[in-house]
Amino acid sequence: MNELTIDKIISDINSLTKGACQLVEYINDELVIEIPSSQLCKTIEFLVQGHESIHLSTITIDIDNSAPDYIHALYHFWENISCSLLVKLDTKNPELDSIISLIPGADFYEREAAEMYGIRFANRESTPALLLPDDYKGAPPMLIKKEK
Amino acid sequence: MIMEKITIPIGPQHPLLKEPLSLRISVSGERVLGGELRLGYVHRGIEKLAVSRNYTQNVHLIERICGICSHVHTTAFCTAVERLLNLEVPARAHYIRALLCELERIHSHLLWAGILSKHIGLDTIFMHTWHDRELVLDIMEELSGGRVSHAVNKIGGVRIDLDIGHAELIKKNISKLHDEVEKLLEIIMHDSTIKARTQGVAIITPEEVKQYGIVGPIARASGVAVDFRSDDPLPPYDRLNFKIITQPEGDAWARTVVRIQEVHESMKLCEQILKVIPDGPVEVRARRSVPTGRVIVRAEAPRGELFYYLRSDGTNQPARLKIRTPSLPVLEILTKKLSEIQVADIPVVLAGVDLCIACADR
Repeated sequence: MNELTIDKIISDINSLTKGACQLVEYINDELVIEIPSSQLCKTIEFLVQGHESIHLSTITIDIDNSAPDYIHALYHFWENISCSLLVKLDTKNPELDSIISLIPGADFYEREAAEMYGIRFANRESTPALLLPDDYKGAPPMLIKKEK
Repeated sequence: MIMEKITIPIGPQHPLLKEPLSLRISVSGERVLGGELRLGYVHRGIEKLAVSRNYTQNVHLIERICGICSHVHTTAFCTAVERLLNLEVPARAHYIRALLCELERIHSHLLWAGILSKHIGLDTIFMHTWHDRELVLDIMEELSGGRVSHAVNKIGGVRIDLDIGHAELIKKNISKLHDEVEKLLEIIMHDSTIKARTQGVAIITPEEVKQYGIVGPIARASGVAVDFRSDDPLPPYDRLNFKIITQPEGDAWARTVVRIQEVHESMKLCEQILKVIPDGPVEVRARRSVPTGRVIVRAEAPRGELFYYLRSDGTNQPARLKIRTPSLPVLEILTKKLSEIQVADIPVVLAGVDLCIACADR
């Protein structure tokens, strides 16, 4: 099995996505690679199958108020280094492909993203509530603006 | 004889559970067919609350995520803020943080060993482990004034310092604990009742560890040597020597052995810290406004990888705080493990994975 190295992961994902990926930044020593949402499953499949001890730490959804047109979805992986895949979603139509067929452990993270940020996940039956009550009717809590 | 399928609701409030969690377990006679769980009964919306409080207030908020591993939560949060501030925290503060982290690990593992023992009917071991745990709680109370919430961390360092009296107390209590933990390990390794109740129960394979992102002692008990004290160490773990404990079996017994051996390692780490802790200040002044940027911090909590993502927009409040606690992936695999077992094994499966619902719910 290949050990994850920064150069290798960038070149591998670059060839996998036919040049559509982009090294965004390092968060301290953490590598962040932006990929198109259409390439998400393919890239994650490559990471999971090619690296024996890689694991998904979590999925972070983040909305930067200085760029409100996009919702950022970050898939944080760890093997011997940290690597995060960044997917930008349209705020008006936040939809992602589900990865639970590749990583069953992503189920809770997707359900949390769905209920807290209203993200829709394709290729899975449903996203039942994880933390909120079943009869919760309000807007996704993380999208509610601060009260004055 | 074909037995009828019955669904038994357990919780959210139930004597079997120490925290609120709703489980619906399907059984046929004495055989468990499967289970479903529902979280959220102690959801406090901490990630949402964090963005409406300043960084100093958030240290106190974060401390209240969990009553067992409160210190490691604030350690991860303060480290994240300090990295964004590009703040040079004094070395002595790092050592004091690590000392508290290890004391917390000892207390968490002993607490868990007591709960598991009680669930398998060994009340004497439960009494002993919780009695031994008092030695650690006494140290933490003496150091910080609090047995559960310690409020030791602040942005820029710690608010306590160690004196000779503290060091003497730690050495004395750890020395007593060494003997007790040795006896406990001996019992776990050889007692036929413990082996009968835990060996071969709820086996988690290395493949499942990867699929579900399981971390900490549970992963290590399945032979996967993942430990963020060595994989991505916060200071001063990069300067400390310790052994990563693993067991290959992956069952409830292996998880017990790993945790008790880790108590030993943590005690040795406490002694090592007392020997090598440098003199000097324990805090530096930190600015209230944090520069724009984002940071990820991983710390090894008693239950495994604790993940913090923090984004600052240049104000004195976080723009986004994401917390992933190690209990969450374990809860995902739990329902899978609640099948094809005997009803009597349910407590062992539940207690055996060391759930923290407060952490998972946030």
